[in-house]
Amino acid sequence: MSTYYQIFGGKINVVTSDPSNPIEGQVWYNTTSEVLKYRVVTTSAWASGGNLGTARDALAGAGTQTSALAFGGKTPTISGVNNTEEYNGSSWTGGGNLGTARYQLAGCGTQTVALAFGGYDGPANTGATEEYNGTSWTSGGSLGTARRDAAGAGTQTSALGFGGAAPSTPEITGATEEYDGTSWTAGGSLATARRGLGGAGTQTAGLAFGGTTPPITAATEEYNGTSWTSGGTMGTARNETAGAGTQTSALGFGGYDGTANTGATEAYNGTSWSNETSLSTARQNLAGAGTQTSALAFGGVTTAPIANTEEFTGGGVGVTRTVTGS
Amino acid sequence: MAKNYQYCVAECWGSGFITLEDAIKIRISGFPGNVWQVPAHNSDANLWIMKVAGSFKTVQEAQAIVTAEVEAAQAAWDALPEDQKNRPGNNSRPTDIVLPE
Repeated sequence: MSTYYQIFGGKINVVTSDPSNPIEGQVWYNTTSEVLKYRVVTTSAWASGGNLGTARDALAGAGTQTSALAFGGKTPTISGVNNTEEYNGSSWTGGGNLGTARYQLAGCGTQTVALAFGGYDGPANTGATEEYNGTSWTSGGSLGTARRDAAGAGTQTSALGFGGAAPSTPEITGATEEYDGTSWTAGGSLATARRGLGGAGTQTAGLAFGGTTPPITAATEEYNGTSWTSGGTMGTARNETAGAGTQTSALGFGGYDGTANTGATEAYNGTSWSNETSLSTARQNLAGAGTQTSALAFGGVTTAPIANTEEFTGGGVGVTRTVTGS
Repeated sequence: MAKNYQYCVAECWGSGFITLEDAIKIRISGFPGNVWQVPAHNSDANLWIMKVAGSFKTVQEAQAIVTAEVEAAQAAWDALPEDQKNRPGNNSRPTDIVLPE
């Protein structure tokens, strides 16, 4: 059997106190605590969060991992709901209902200052916009192009809506609209018209990724407040996905890859996507909130709409571990 | 042939079901029917199954549960009227899931 010395060419350091700034892979024996320790850098991970009160898919989300908002969506009966739920980092509680029950809507903002727009309200696509104040929703200006399955980014008073399916022909649109807290005005169109895409960022630094044109695409585009330009291609092409973060620090997770639901998670650095740890429960038509390193995934559909919430924690954190006999 | 995975059935109760520590130590994957997949021959996986009061299943038993869920969802989808199948936002027909050993 090989020894540590034979493999690394040196002996394990014996110290009375842990090194102040250990590097990845460093091993030492602490004579004070009488334990063997080593340093690792963590990988990213999804942990369980509190379940939604209403299992649903095709919902929208806003906020952060510890202060999120879920609204709209549909239940197994394929009918839109108006439920809003607020997340505090461990559980969801009911908020004010949307005025227009709908699914495949888009959203952005924070838990207490959120925006809901577009979607399908049963008979038709809607352009209805509603503003949340932490308690109730009130009507805002309608989208110029009523649509469902679009993506959103930004804040309640500086929002971006892009892509989706419109009632017109061709149905799938690349139309982009900008909201100023009162009304929507046209922005530059996506180069690749698509629906079921993911979104992140702000009104002047937006990110669009995935979706279906059809077929399902991995294309990414970046918005500068005026026009969209191509970004790095996702590793996994996907539709009905979700996103979080900013244009240069985004996270894309979940969706449908053309064959099956996926839990694939990817991080964007402003240039390219890299793989992160996948969701525990692969799903499509989910919603997301938060940042690249502290995101939230909730709802969606497997074989039926689900209530599962998962909390993402980015990797790259140094942790000291103790070698145990077990 | 050595098994790579083991399976259990457990209901996800929400926060704490899979902690960050659990998720860093082991890969836990969920499937329809409350079926959960974790690494085989792994003490952390065994401890997690105990924590969630999981009921151990062989891969065949787990597959049967997942298949029943998928087939029920497929039957429900097949029974939908055509106008509902084509209704905007309706999801595509659920696809089969094959659990690895």
